[in-house]
Amino acid sequence: MHLPLITLVALPFAGSLIAALLPTNARNAESTLAGVIALLCAVQVALLFPDIAAGQVIRQDIPWLPSLGLNFVLRMDGFAWMFSMLVLGIGALVVLYARYYMSPADPVPRFFAFLLAFMGAMSGVVLSGNLFQMVLFWELTSLFSFLLIGYWHHRKDARRGARMALTVTGAGGLCLVAGVVLLGHIAGSYDLDVVLAAGDAVRAHPLYRPMLVLVLLGAFTKSAQFPFQFWLPNAMAAPTPVSAYLHSATMVKAGVFLLARLWPVLAGTDEWFWLVTGAGLATLLVGGFAAIFQNDLKGLLAYSTISHLGLITTLLGLNSPLAAVAAVFHILNHATFKASLFMAVGVIDHETGTRDIRRLSGLARYMPVTATLATVAAAAMAGVPLLNGFISKEMFFSEAVFLAASPGIDRALPVVAVVAGMFSVAYSLRFTVEVFLGRDKCGALPRQPHEPPRWMRAPISVLVLACLVVGTLPQWSIQRILETAARPVVGVLPDFDLAVWHGFNLPLWMSLLSLVGGIALFFALRSPMRRGHLAKAPLIGRINGKRVFRSLLARLTLAGRHTRRLFGTRRLQMQLMLLVLVTLVAAAVPLRRLGSEALLAGGDRAMLEFSPMFALMWLVGAGAAIGAVWQAKYHRLTALALMSVAGLVTVITFAWFSAPDLALTQLSVEAVTTVLIMLGLRWLPKRLEDVGRSQPLRVRARARVRRGRDLSIALCAGAGLALLSWAMMTRSFPQSISPFFLERALPEGGGRNVVNVMLVDFRGFDTLGEITVLGVVALTVYALLRRFRPAPESAGLPPQQQALPADLVTDLVDPYSDEDPARGYLMVPAVLIRLVLPLAAMIAVYLFMRGHNEPGGGFVAGLVLSTAFIVQYVVSGTQWVEAHMDLRPQRWIAFGLLTATATGLGSFALGYPFLTTHTAHVSLPLIGDLHVASALFYDIGVFLLVVGATLLILTALGHQSVRGRRVRDNEEDERKEGAH
Amino acid sequence: MTELNPWIDGLVALLLLIGAFFLLVGALGMLRFRDFFQRLHAPTKASTLGVGGVLIASMLYSAATGRLAIHELLITLFIFITAPVSANLLAKAALHLKLPSKAGHPERD
Repeated sequence: MHLPLITLVALPFAGSLIAALLPTNARNAESTLAGVIALLCAVQVALLFPDIAAGQVIRQDIPWLPSLGLNFVLRMDGFAWMFSMLVLGIGALVVLYARYYMSPADPVPRFFAFLLAFMGAMSGVVLSGNLFQMVLFWELTSLFSFLLIGYWHHRKDARRGARMALTVTGAGGLCLVAGVVLLGHIAGSYDLDVVLAAGDAVRAHPLYRPMLVLVLLGAFTKSAQFPFQFWLPNAMAAPTPVSAYLHSATMVKAGVFLLARLWPVLAGTDEWFWLVTGAGLATLLVGGFAAIFQNDLKGLLAYSTISHLGLITTLLGLNSPLAAVAAVFHILNHATFKASLFMAVGVIDHETGTRDIRRLSGLARYMPVTATLATVAAAAMAGVPLLNGFISKEMFFSEAVFLAASPGIDRALPVVAVVAGMFSVAYSLRFTVEVFLGRDKCGALPRQPHEPPRWMRAPISVLVLACLVVGTLPQWSIQRILETAARPVVGVLPDFDLAVWHGFNLPLWMSLLSLVGGIALFFALRSPMRRGHLAKAPLIGRINGKRVFRSLLARLTLAGRHTRRLFGTRRLQMQLMLLVLVTLVAAAVPLRRLGSEALLAGGDRAMLEFSPMFALMWLVGAGAAIGAVWQAKYHRLTALALMSVAGLVTVITFAWFSAPDLALTQLSVEAVTTVLIMLGLRWLPKRLEDVGRSQPLRVRARARVRRGRDLSIALCAGAGLALLSWAMMTRSFPQSISPFFLERALPEGGGRNVVNVMLVDFRGFDTLGEITVLGVVALTVYALLRRFRPAPESAGLPPQQQALPADLVTDLVDPYSDEDPARGYLMVPAVLIRLVLPLAAMIAVYLFMRGHNEPGGGFVAGLVLSTAFIVQYVVSGTQWVEAHMDLRPQRWIAFGLLTATATGLGSFALGYPFLTTHTAHVSLPLIGDLHVASALFYDIGVFLLVVGATLLILTALGHQSVRGRRVRDNEEDERKEGAH
Repeated sequence: MTELNPWIDGLVALLLLIGAFFLLVGALGMLRFRDFFQRLHAPTKASTLGVGGVLIASMLYSAATGRLAIHELLITLFIFITAPVSANLLAKAALHLKLPSKAGHPERD
């Protein structure tokens, strides 16, 4: 009996939350918590081995959205088992190591919280049975890697490295999402079992190539393959336990994990071979070469990791089952020795205070045990016999030799393999010989080196022991595990033999050749490097990956800024012109194909009889619109008035065609919008006609040409739209939705006003979204206007307000005054307009109540009420109104949204879907029978919100007058003081 | 359209015509007067007698067809409240701008 798989993912996350809450210096508590969790999960996984080895696939489905077919699926087969053991086992060891590595000054809760969360996320990647879920956990690992790299966020290199890692892996994650979407589409499902069984169908699909490229981009960015390898050396700014765990053993392995996981589905084609093997070989060589010349121990190990990951990728790309088995084996081996090497480097750093190879020498005298362990691990990295690295290298060499591919590759691959082997021997030697052997330079080190605490060395010992055991007794120790792990990847296991000695065959000669060559290379390069000549790698050292990345980012930012300047709202007229032009072209192209005669001829819909009054009215409206355009440049207020005439003509048109609700809405919106524009017009600087007329001829001619261009574009667009409207309106619709609503409004919606019933009942959810948007817009306008500073030329008082009679004290004169404005010439207006408010409120309520059965409704009622409020502001002034009436528009907005949502949720409480309406029949004593639809309360929400939003926008604009004066008065006071 | 008593029918038509006539008078006045302050008087005819005629006709018609609706008086009430306000503010603006006036300008603002 075992715990469900979900504990392997959930427990680390839960531990992470607890770890975040512990006090800052509780090193023991944190590491115990983390260690116990990791060990518990590791033991749990280990206990599952008998079942997994027998071929069973353990699966746990947790239903999440059953109607969409989305479940949370956890799936463990042999390969996932091996990886889980890696993640959890090495995690436990790293936790123990970190307990001693982290200094007492480091804030430990953050570290262990992130580490545990990462462990959970990595388990999620490995155990996910659903591709989308895996991508989710994939992104989480990128995120936690970012947080862990930037752990010492006071250091600039840590911040930069973290940002670079997140950018690269995040971009790869995006590509992976796209690739997974395509893969799921091709395979028919996102479930891993289904995808793994659909291999042939996927490979034969026309979308295979783009999908492959996208998935590979995701995998290559994560596993630091060429050309994305530059982020990994920069991630070495992280604390060493993080490097040991994430950037050698687990996170960077996620990419090759994905490649191996999807090997049955994606591999086997030429594209796979060229892309994957190509990238892998390039990485293998570049990484190995660069590692030799590194002066930082962690940098050397980072490039070595890149090189080994390239090796694994190459093996996976060879399209051969045996190579895939070798890849799985090398994943295991590399994790083991690389983690121990990183931990050893951490020990060196901890004890001596430096990681620079040039400064370190002869450490073996002071830390013999650590030196031995590190040397053994480095030997495993180099591929020395009797260690685990040797066996997987042998498998690589034999695959390289026995590959059957195109002739060029056949010859080149073994050569590349040997060269890469030479590189790895060379840098492993550099690691051991330069640091541990040689003259004793320990006097010049920041700290006196000595052996680390026993428990800090213990994880290294465990891992090195594992290297030894696997290297000397492979068949006894690892064969069964490897078979279990490799079977899900390759399907049918090929015959392979993990013996240490196969006889004097070609792979053995290649190993020996690379050993000898590596030693020779190292000694050849040793003196020049000692003398400081080869501080950077020749050829590739000049390409600074970090600089390339940052210049790329800078270029992207500049391009973005340039585009924004070109299309942005600083040049609003240009933007509008482009908008109209694009619309014109986009609409003209398909209409062109139809042919203009067909469009002009019109359809066969029955025409209404011509009415001269209607035509006259439209002539008036058209004239007003043209007049508005004509006056718009210099006489904006006139243009606004003329535009409102055009709006009124629209209102009458609606009423003419028996759409009273629309007419009512249009009228009220017209009023509010006109006031809004008027309030905004006050801040626009005045355009002077005589200035325009006094420009030189050249400038005026250019202006004329520009206006001619604008006129022709406008005419074309308008004519096009008119043609389109004509063509559409003269053709009868094949299927209209209006009969549906007309039939059902009364019986199902409980109201005779079809428009209102549609808004609050049939399309209620849509209305909810729309009022939310309206509320958001109002709040945005309010927020934007709080920092509004008018242009200097419009900041002055308008002329009408500069000459005021002495008996008038309103906020026109003193911005802080809230005295009664009903004095002087404002007596009549101020007194009368106060009567409007209660009457308008009554009208608003009346319109609201009759809305369900007759023209009206919450929206119109809201607009009427807010118009009444605004009229108060206009006549009596902001200060007086706000001193006497505490309007809080934000609260109206909030209550409106709450009421509407609560009405919708109320139906939940009764077991119906969201926003189901119900009509109650109530008989009241004096009034009689009432039909009350629950849509009434929804309409109340709409009403409240409309009032709040409109008032918020209009009062935000209105406040500018008061505030502007304050700023002006301050400036005047400052000038007066300056003059003294 | 229900059948109306021919007297009521005629009365409604007469009221509508009177209302329309005064609306026309108001519009003509706006066109013909040359002085802003004279023009300010013209719409008052339209908004009192013109709208009033139409409203009374509408109330009579609704009473005759059985659905008495006197809430249309509210329209008149609103016009009586808001028209003076706008006229007052317009006149003040005109005085400030010193628009030409046949009656001359006041000496002080």
